[in-house]
Amino acid sequence: MSTGSPAPDRSRVPLWRDIRVLRVGGQAIALLLVFLLLRWLLGNLTSNLDRLNIGFDFGFLTRPTQFKIPYHSTFDDRSPVWQMVVVGIKNTFLAGFFGILLALTLGLVVGVSRLSKNWLVARLATVYVEFFRNIPPLLIIIFFAAALFTYGPFPNLREAILIDAPGTSSTLLILSNDQWGIPGFTGGERWALFAALLGAGLILAITAWLWRTRVNENTGRPHHRVAWFFGVLVGIGIVGYLVLGGPFTISWPGQSENRRLIVGGFALNWGFMSVAAALGLYTASHVGEIIRGSILAVPRGQTEASTALALSGFQRYRFVVLPQALRIAIPPIINQCLNLVKNTSLGTAVAYAEITALTQTSIGNGRPALQSLLVMMAVYLMFSLAISLLLNIVNRRLQLVTR
Amino acid sequence: MKAIKLLAVLTALMLVLAACETGGGDDDTTTTAGAEEPTGEETTTTAGAEEPTTTAGAEEPAGDGLLETVQARGSLLCGVNDVLPGFGVVGDDGSFSGFDVDLCKAVAAGVLGDPEAVEYVPLVADARFTALQSGEIDVLIRNTTWTATRDGQEGATFLFTTFYDGQAMMVPASTGFTELEDLADANICVLSGTTTELNLTAVFGARGIAFNPQVFADNEQLRPAYESGQCEAWTSDASQLAALKATIEAEGGEEQFIMAEVISKEPLGPAVRDGDSVWAQAVEWSIMTTVQAWEFGLDSTNIGSYAGEDPNILNFIGTDGFDPGLGLAPDFAVTIIESVGNYQEIYERNIVPIGLQIEGSPNDLWTNGGLMYVPPYR
Repeated sequence: MSTGSPAPDRSRVPLWRDIRVLRVGGQAIALLLVFLLLRWLLGNLTSNLDRLNIGFDFGFLTRPTQFKIPYHSTFDDRSPVWQMVVVGIKNTFLAGFFGILLALTLGLVVGVSRLSKNWLVARLATVYVEFFRNIPPLLIIIFFAAALFTYGPFPNLREAILIDAPGTSSTLLILSNDQWGIPGFTGGERWALFAALLGAGLILAITAWLWRTRVNENTGRPHHRVAWFFGVLVGIGIVGYLVLGGPFTISWPGQSENRRLIVGGFALNWGFMSVAAALGLYTASHVGEIIRGSILAVPRGQTEASTALALSGFQRYRFVVLPQALRIAIPPIINQCLNLVKNTSLGTAVAYAEITALTQTSIGNGRPALQSLLVMMAVYLMFSLAISLLLNIVNRRLQLVTR
Repeated sequence: MKAIKLLAVLTALMLVLAACETGGGDDDTTTTAGAEEPTGEETTTTAGAEEPTTTAGAEEPAGDGLLETVQARGSLLCGVNDVLPGFGVVGDDGSFSGFDVDLCKAVAAGVLGDPEAVEYVPLVADARFTALQSGEIDVLIRNTTWTATRDGQEGATFLFTTFYDGQAMMVPASTGFTELEDLADANICVLSGTTTELNLTAVFGARGIAFNPQVFADNEQLRPAYESGQCEAWTSDASQLAALKATIEAEGGEEQFIMAEVISKEPLGPAVRDGDSVWAQAVEWSIMTTVQAWEFGLDSTNIGSYAGEDPNILNFIGTDGFDPGLGLAPDFAVTIIESVGNYQEIYERNIVPIGLQIEGSPNDLWTNGGLMYVPPYR
């Protein structure tokens, strides 16, 4: 150890081993690398575009689309491209919304069923989860479209199966391999007034909900807030309907003279049904697993304590286990919802006119690829951020419930 | 103090690295093949360094030397269709065949001297121009219609029209539909991103007929929808419909009817990237050679043994060393015709089997009243 040279200063760590320097240096290097990568990509892009003499602007959004969109007879091919984007957003939203609705309800049922003491129920749920979870969603969509529509049991629209509502001569359902017709409603002349009334009713119902919650918190009496909420809403709806003399009528689906169109009611097209149902079923298997895991994650002591308090099985779930389980489940469920919305892009395989399919068609018809893709990315980003925001609000509310 | 010094050294090091990297990046961008083809860059530079004075070099203002790149690479990247009988299909053994595929072979034979030196890149309609722009392919020969927008906005240069087509409408024969008006409000199957989709919209719109498009990405997805009756009609180029009609009927499907009315003009031809006229000329002449040989009465059997004295033909087969300066071998025409045949042979091998005759069609030679007319080879 003893040498002629001066002993190294042991009170200070050398720079290349100083944790602070290493941290800062690491961050700086990472940042620089990311910056260089972006610069390289952007440089590639601009120089390639320049070389090919292709401009980079978004003027195409205001020029005519030049093609028609499936199942949008009102969409004119002279409409600008941005309107096509709006239709794409609408279709993506519809498939995503109904898919999420199906996924969450079915997922909750499946998740709870997997923990059921009933052997058959638990096994069925397991089979369901293992089946859907292990197949790529694209295959499920294509299978749905093929099994139900393309090679399915229904004739084409001109020879569609009409099912009458029992006891009437109105058509309840129109089934074909192309579109299904279901009953809808059409607003009369006082429809706007009625809608406004319903809006007011909703506000009133929410107020009732909050009031009952407060009563429950202050006095400990049962709140019955769900009953109150719907009681107020439905009550106002019925009164409004009677007072305004029928502001809307049920419209039954029917066929046009050449039997090629569905008039009245709502028309569901096969692409939409395949995408929404397939993605709903697929995502439900994941949601089910999340719910099951979250329920299992609630400490056993909670269940035992609630049993000791003589709560019934339902009460145990409703008031002790599920509130805690949901708190754990919400973040991964947000992920599943985001995935579902992004998976709607697979709808292009079954000719469903969502944003990806329309963008592809648009690019194929001469719109600039890069700008179109950027618009599409912005749309998906908007969807994802909106869902995250919504569910994060839910999450925050659940987390804050502490008494 | 020490910490600052080290940071400074680190930063300096990174800057040097950065300079190297951005320099490399800029080099990359000048190659046509892009990031996926690192060899492309090297070959371009070496080819340029070794042959600074090619004949082509003088008349090459902004070209990036794709001809040299392809010749150095030794294979041609050809964008084709893989699901269209007659034009481009993949066989059971994975080999490509069809009219467009034979033209790829002709280009490879002309440019590289080997008709098999082709890498086929199957493309869906939507992706073809992106693939061309990005350098994924050297030439696009995929039943592609020449339009002004594609010439202008897609950065493509269209070359000699190899097939004159027109859009038609196919329905199952049992429906008895014979004219477009029978299809009011009907679902009509069409491929997305094709000129047929725009024509369909424009023609039906002009006549005030409402319809509902069913848009698919390729024929494999479209056909089941058509055969199950999800769409009542299928619109595409007449040649495609003829091929599909033959396939459907041969496979035991329903009898099909193609409406007589042709609703558009569809000149199909090869396309290359804008900005490299040397490459464009090499491709164009490789393909036009097949028509010229037909006009001369030369085919794959007799071009190698030509013993006549016609000076035009002697120029054409390059026996007396005639070189028009296209950057191709003097006898490239012989290589092409011997390996893939002349236009008529290519047509009869691929298009006649799907039920379209050459006689009386626009694809006949100009001397027979058709539109196949190429500039003189001299």
